[in-house]
Amino acid sequence: MTIKRRDFLGTVAAGSAVITMPGFLSGCGVQTATAIASPTPDSPFMEWFGVDQALIAKVMSELTSRGADEADLYFQHTRNNALTLEDGIVSSANSSIQQGVGLRVVIGEQTGYAFTEDITLPSMLAAARTASAIATGRQVVTPQSFSPLKAGDLYTTTVPWADVGIDQKLPVMKFVEQRAKSKDPAIEKVAVYWGDGDERVMIATLGGKLVSDHRPMARVTVVVTAKKGGETQTGFSNIAAREEFSWFSEARLSTMVDEAVDRTLIQFEAKRPPAGEMPVILASGASGILLHEAIGHGMEADFNRKGTSIYSDMIGKKVAESFVTVVDQADIPRERGALNYDDEGNKAGRTVMVENGILKSYLHDKISAKQYGLKPTGSGRRESYRYAPMPRMSCTFMEDGPHTKEEIIAAVDRGIICETYTNGQVQIGAGDYTFYVKNGWLVEGGKITAPIKDVNIIGNGPESLKRITMVANDARLDTGGWTCGKNGQSVPVSQGIPTVLVSKMTVGGENVS
Amino acid sequence: MSVDLIGQAEQAVALTKAAGANEVTATITQSRDVTFEYRDGALENVKDTTSQGLAIQVYAAGRYSSHQTTDLHPDRLKNFVAEAVAITRALEPDEFRKITPEELFQNRPDVDLDLVDPTVAEISREQRLAWCVAIDAVARDHDKVISATAGVYDGSSQSASVSSNGFSGTERSTYCWYGSEITLRDQGDRRAEDSFYVGGQHIASLPAATTVAATALQRVLSRLNSVKGPTIKTTMVVDAAMAGSLIGRLLGPATAWRVQQGQSYWTDLIGEKAFSDKLTIVDDPLIRRGFASRHYDSEGISAKVLPIVEAGVIRNLYVDTYYGRKAGMTPTTGSASNRRVGSGEKSLAELLADVGNGVYVTSWLGGNADSTTGDFSLGIRGHMIENGQIAGPVGEMNVTGNLRDLFSRLEILGNDIYPYSATLSPSLVFADVDFSGA
Repeated sequence: MTIKRRDFLGTVAAGSAVITMPGFLSGCGVQTATAIASPTPDSPFMEWFGVDQALIAKVMSELTSRGADEADLYFQHTRNNALTLEDGIVSSANSSIQQGVGLRVVIGEQTGYAFTEDITLPSMLAAARTASAIATGRQVVTPQSFSPLKAGDLYTTTVPWADVGIDQKLPVMKFVEQRAKSKDPAIEKVAVYWGDGDERVMIATLGGKLVSDHRPMARVTVVVTAKKGGETQTGFSNIAAREEFSWFSEARLSTMVDEAVDRTLIQFEAKRPPAGEMPVILASGASGILLHEAIGHGMEADFNRKGTSIYSDMIGKKVAESFVTVVDQADIPRERGALNYDDEGNKAGRTVMVENGILKSYLHDKISAKQYGLKPTGSGRRESYRYAPMPRMSCTFMEDGPHTKEEIIAAVDRGIICETYTNGQVQIGAGDYTFYVKNGWLVEGGKITAPIKDVNIIGNGPESLKRITMVANDARLDTGGWTCGKNGQSVPVSQGIPTVLVSKMTVGGENVS
Repeated sequence: MSVDLIGQAEQAVALTKAAGANEVTATITQSRDVTFEYRDGALENVKDTTSQGLAIQVYAAGRYSSHQTTDLHPDRLKNFVAEAVAITRALEPDEFRKITPEELFQNRPDVDLDLVDPTVAEISREQRLAWCVAIDAVARDHDKVISATAGVYDGSSQSASVSSNGFSGTERSTYCWYGSEITLRDQGDRRAEDSFYVGGQHIASLPAATTVAATALQRVLSRLNSVKGPTIKTTMVVDAAMAGSLIGRLLGPATAWRVQQGQSYWTDLIGEKAFSDKLTIVDDPLIRRGFASRHYDSEGISAKVLPIVEAGVIRNLYVDTYYGRKAGMTPTTGSASNRRVGSGEKSLAELLADVGNGVYVTSWLGGNADSTTGDFSLGIRGHMIENGQIAGPVGEMNVTGNLRDLFSRLEILGNDIYPYSATLSPSLVFADVDFSGA
């Protein structure tokens, strides 16, 4: 797509993330590469942001001058780069730099927030005064120095995206295009969208922690349009991870291309399934969208501390069969949803939301953890320095169960299999959720009989959990580039699941009798 | 304007030209945004921010790229534009990538769009708090309320754009929105939830905060005891407030980009009758106080009223200069402004009475549409319509079909245009729609 001026305005004004790509001239970026290569004892990014401990201490003191239970400074520099291949040529690039510092003060459940893109002492002090206005108390004791925590190693890269030139990326995009075109004569058009990025985050907390995290991201999408007779169909596939350039191997790209072509061509034969309630088999991988919508959001503790989630009174209760275990885990190396530290400076890790069918734990940020008297689960995330953090998912999945995929298909007399998805949504209080199935299959008499396409599925979270009657042993995380939106903030996430049978869901279809 | 944004944009153009660009467009933006959220009797979130940014579009050696930054430090800006030009040169040449032709800048309208309310900049902390308290009192005035959040969101934005081939323009607008989101205890663990917000550029045009809160409460009360609706083929009435998003899905592929890329069911239909003759849609950038009103579009093309669909016949697509050149289409505008959907004579109550039986859709839940085929499937909630009246609330249903086919079965439009959206649409009535439910 062309990125137009209006889009820029929207981006700059609203802070929504555009997929774009980093520069290719090393030493020609916003700051020089040498600044990262010679870290100070404090944090590798002190110099990058042009600040020091004394300055941070001064701003922290101003930020908490009217009292605080928690406070943090969130320094961020993000460089994203995008390339577009359409009609055989790469003739559009976009780069985007977002740099700023967010200042937050928390008193109980109250949050005061401000940010500035001008990282100088006067601007930061002014923003600190603005953020502190919510408080009415007295200056709290603030740290005079901040202790750097050990850097995480979940997605360390050897070559930062800033050092990868467009000349290296173009052949990769051409390879994707050529492979797609050569797969079938029906293919008319192929578009390839490239995105890479480097995000540098430095968080200083009232507790005296100093956390730094360098977060890379890579994503490639291929869109295929095919024509047969008078009919046109479009399909796509994408892959994404916190990775570097070498991740885009021929094998990995080929798998993505083949998926996109298969998904496109099958639509010429695909029909809408019958409408109404029926058993639904969720294929392994991307079907983790079920967990994200049906339970994940409802387990975010901000909704629960307010009592607005359907799961607010369910901790400790049996919500599913004993072979159902649902986890949100940030410390999975290189996954799109992976995080060393969350955006409040807490170590991100593994939270078991449902263990052997019992509802165990919400996803907490500092505010909710304090209210529940628990340790934060490292789930406080934010889109950028423009936003205060809140509980979010990272990599959400279900662990393996006792059945096999074959047993599950054989168990269904009349239903569907869902395989690929475009999006989902949930109502937190009612628990109703939906996801859109792009490709799937009809199952009749325990056998796959025909392809289906373009149906929305709707269900109720707790009811669907209870209706998970079979779970196979083939769990995998999807490699697609999922982005989760909540309260206007987008963050990268991953999701996964083994093959699962839900005994009844409502399938959008035609042929209503 | 507090600072000389035009001057800054001109400087960015000069800087980029000096770095080797043949042509360049630069836009400088500034915004201030304030959020007050008040939950269950106490202030919960206060956010007060100012933001800035530069965007440039670079044309060099027959190539094109675009770039944005929030880092306006003069030294680093120099590197930013140098790198932007270097990136451009590393791409492949494309004969269709050209700066917007000067003739499209001509005849820019100068009608007063009235997008700025100077009093927005003067809203005090006390005023925001007073709105919050007033909303909170009404929103929580029911024994089933678990939680209610009152929100006030106000601010302003301004921008200046300058191009190396003679374009120069500034835009400015203010906004103020308020309303409430309410959660009620329902059956078992279920909660009923809904929200209602109103907004505009001008504070004086807004209904009283208490009225807005009362509407929010009434909306969520109507959701109590919702049940799963039936699987049925019947008439669908889409509430005016929800019609805009359906119109948006209909028009999504109505662009030269989608058509040129072979991903649009609008292809080859200009001049054809593609929809019900009840359907008329006009893109109108010149509506006074319109949410998407403007004097020029994202490429600098002078704004004009653009008929998209007239009595079911497709008249125009959204055509930007690049895909227009590629597809051999004359540019109109590549980006939507306000959309006016032709309305009818009847109130919602009269529509429902006419319909007799069916489903009244009051909100969408997820779903999607394929731009190439127009196939769609959307989650909904709403009410059954029985004997011409709104009956009990239903949810956990999907509506499924094809957009072109659906809009060929548009039968009636109301007179109840929803004002808080850039798409000004009344309630819509469609015949023979497939619903899936219990």
